[in-house]
Amino acid sequence: MPFDYRRFNGPEDSVSYKRFSEDFLRTYDELYKDLLDENGKRKDGRALNEARSLCTSISRTNIVSQAKGSAYVELNKTKVICSVFDPREITGHQNEYSWFGQIYCEVKFAPFSCPRKRRQLVPDSDEKALSADLKKALETVVRRDKFPNFQMDIFVYILEHDGGCLSAAINAAGLALADAVVPMYDIVSASSVAIINDQIIIDPTEAEEHLALMYTDKEKNHGLVTMCFMHHLKQFTDFRQIGSVDAECVLKVMDILEKECDKLMLVIKKIMVSNVVRQHNEHKVLLEEAKFREEVLQSKVEEWRKLLNAG
Amino acid sequence: MSDVYKVIHPNKYFNDYISLNVRPDGRKFDEQRSIKLNANAISNADASALIKCGNTTVVCGITLELATPKAEEPDHGFLVTNVELLPLCSSKFKPGPPSDYAQVISNTVNDIIKNSKCIDLKDLCIVSDKLAWVLYCDMVCLDNDGSIIDACITTLITSLKSLSLPAVSFDVETEEVKVDISNKTLLKVTGLPVATSFAIYQSPESNIVLTDPTTFEEEMCGGIGANLIVCWNQGLLCGVQKYGGGNIPTESQKNLLQVAKKRSKLVEEVIETCLS
Amino acid sequence: MVAEDFKDFKLKPMKCELNYLSKSDGSAILAQGETVVLASVNGPLDIKITSQSMEKATLEVLFSAKGGKPNVSDRFKESVIRQTCETAILGCLYPRTGITVTIQELEDFGGLLTCAVNCTCLALLNSGLSMKHVVAAVGCALDDSGNLVLEPTYDQIQSAAATMHFVFDSRAKTLVTGFTTGIFSEGAYDEALERCRAASDLVFDFYREVVATYCKVIG
Repeated sequence: MPFDYRRFNGPEDSVSYKRFSEDFLRTYDELYKDLLDENGKRKDGRALNEARSLCTSISRTNIVSQAKGSAYVELNKTKVICSVFDPREITGHQNEYSWFGQIYCEVKFAPFSCPRKRRQLVPDSDEKALSADLKKALETVVRRDKFPNFQMDIFVYILEHDGGCLSAAINAAGLALADAVVPMYDIVSASSVAIINDQIIIDPTEAEEHLALMYTDKEKNHGLVTMCFMHHLKQFTDFRQIGSVDAECVLKVMDILEKECDKLMLVIKKIMVSNVVRQHNEHKVLLEEAKFREEVLQSKVEEWRKLLNAG
Repeated sequence: MSDVYKVIHPNKYFNDYISLNVRPDGRKFDEQRSIKLNANAISNADASALIKCGNTTVVCGITLELATPKAEEPDHGFLVTNVELLPLCSSKFKPGPPSDYAQVISNTVNDIIKNSKCIDLKDLCIVSDKLAWVLYCDMVCLDNDGSIIDACITTLITSLKSLSLPAVSFDVETEEVKVDISNKTLLKVTGLPVATSFAIYQSPESNIVLTDPTTFEEEMCGGIGANLIVCWNQGLLCGVQKYGGGNIPTESQKNLLQVAKKRSKLVEEVIETCLS
Repeated sequence: MVAEDFKDFKLKPMKCELNYLSKSDGSAILAQGETVVLASVNGPLDIKITSQSMEKATLEVLFSAKGGKPNVSDRFKESVIRQTCETAILGCLYPRTGITVTIQELEDFGGLLTCAVNCTCLALLNSGLSMKHVVAAVGCALDDSGNLVLEPTYDQIQSAAATMHFVFDSRAKTLVTGFTTGIFSEGAYDEALERCRAASDLVFDFYREVVATYCKVIG
């Protein structure tokens, strides 16, 4: 670890205590046995094809007071927060005038977010890959022609990682962009699956993702697939696959993911509508207050006028 | 309408409120924002806490690691505290390494924790000169609306109080380490530092002290961050920092310390209710 | 408590040379006891548009430690000095410009930050920038038995239960900046504040002396 003179540093050779515990050194087979219980249910009680839905009571927009738009998404243990700021002009003379607006995305993990080890504070390759993916997913959705030579910053922070980070980040960013009233072609939603030993697991947890990438048998399918989808236009904006999966399986997975995204869309729509209703109500209250103030002022003016006229 | 006024003429906007003896968010000068505290919100961290003071939101997470102690201090463990001001929480912070301001905040929080001596670093040592705990405490600001040091200190103390260390056995001959996760003991925390921020506004007539300021108020009172931070640790002071800004009116100096003392009692109660 | 009671204090011997550096607009080297600090002031200068302020001069403080490697506590020292100087300088006279203060630590035997603040103030006087008032920093330590020691030595700081540092302005002797370490009671804080306030007179007298000496040389 290089010495970071802008932060307080710990000792150079520290290791997580979890490495010394008994659970750490388990083999693939042992972990695979633990994946499903005797009823074919997963550890958290879900069936293989059951997704953790964005809970409407928890996922909400407008939570960062300083940002233009913001959203918080919670998928059971995975917790993601996203904020979007006003577009700002791209300055500097090296930059050419760009006819399309630029999108800058940054995804960061909290140092305490991952179950296996502490994350370093300086950005690593995982974070950079996620940032690039998020940027690709959103570039085609936002109407960039509406703000030429401006840059829009989208920041995503992963508070806790329990699988499906990219899809949660995209969903959060979509909600935050809508909250910030950024013009978009369509609403985006994203979903992910893990494939272990030819079994397709929808919306995997971190343990399941870990298992999918650990698998080494070349004969059978294994890997992770994340897809981002525009509901009304029926278009993909991002497709990301890690691992080895044959063509037949990819097509199957795409069908499954499309359905999952459609299900998510309903939830996202609900959140957006409730957001608009809330803002409308707040606006109404503000208007009434303004009206009241004006009336008070008017009556005061009347009083003064009378006083003036009197003498 | 008032939003536009705030943008084009912030000084006048603020002064109009102050001259009517009220702050822009409707509080009195010495009124604090309500505190919401939640412990162990993040299960992947070894201990965590989330605080919301008004809009200011800070999450603290602790990760435990093992390391060999420093040669100069063979029976001391490590407590590493860092404050991250994300670009996410305010448009003032840019992505990249921590800004000067973030480093100042980090340093102040670290100083307060060290001064209060609430953690005995010797408790963190397992085997002298061989093995010791490293407590990485990362405080992350999700929403910056002023008085960030108060929030950081409270979350840090709450998470330290809820942290338990797993039992470790160390074989001196083979240097083999074994950790038993099922057997955990609570970390001993003595003392409970509570910081309270103030901003001092230089109005034409006299200087006015604002308790628990928001970002906008801090800006109006000259510069970034609070002007005065008073830190109480169970009846004793463990830090009085004043940085620039207006002068403290002599008659209110005593009063300020009392306001901070009262708040420290309140926060203590909040932490206790949260953890019980 | 009467301020007169505290008059019999002695501060560490102070030695100062102004115009120590030939190229900067103002510079000073100050020794307080064995702690030595060098400060230089440049400005008002042209700075890049993004950091310009429409209303006042932008103050930039750079602190370099003896070891050379930057760390987090240096940034803290910079911030303390910057905020202290901002109250002293009449920045509104120099809008859209920058003032740079560079401080080099030469020797640290306790009371580094107080010495740095005093040295910066002398360098600012030397540079001829318009100021509202001058500032004086005084430090004190509280030992285990509860006695106050003014301007503690290196050993005294190491064994102290708490140290307190205060910066006062020259006009009304009000507190401009204060920073503390360690645990102490409210009474001890008040006493330390009053004592340091009284002792700050000595620092202001010293400033007067230094400036008077240099006036003669120039005149």
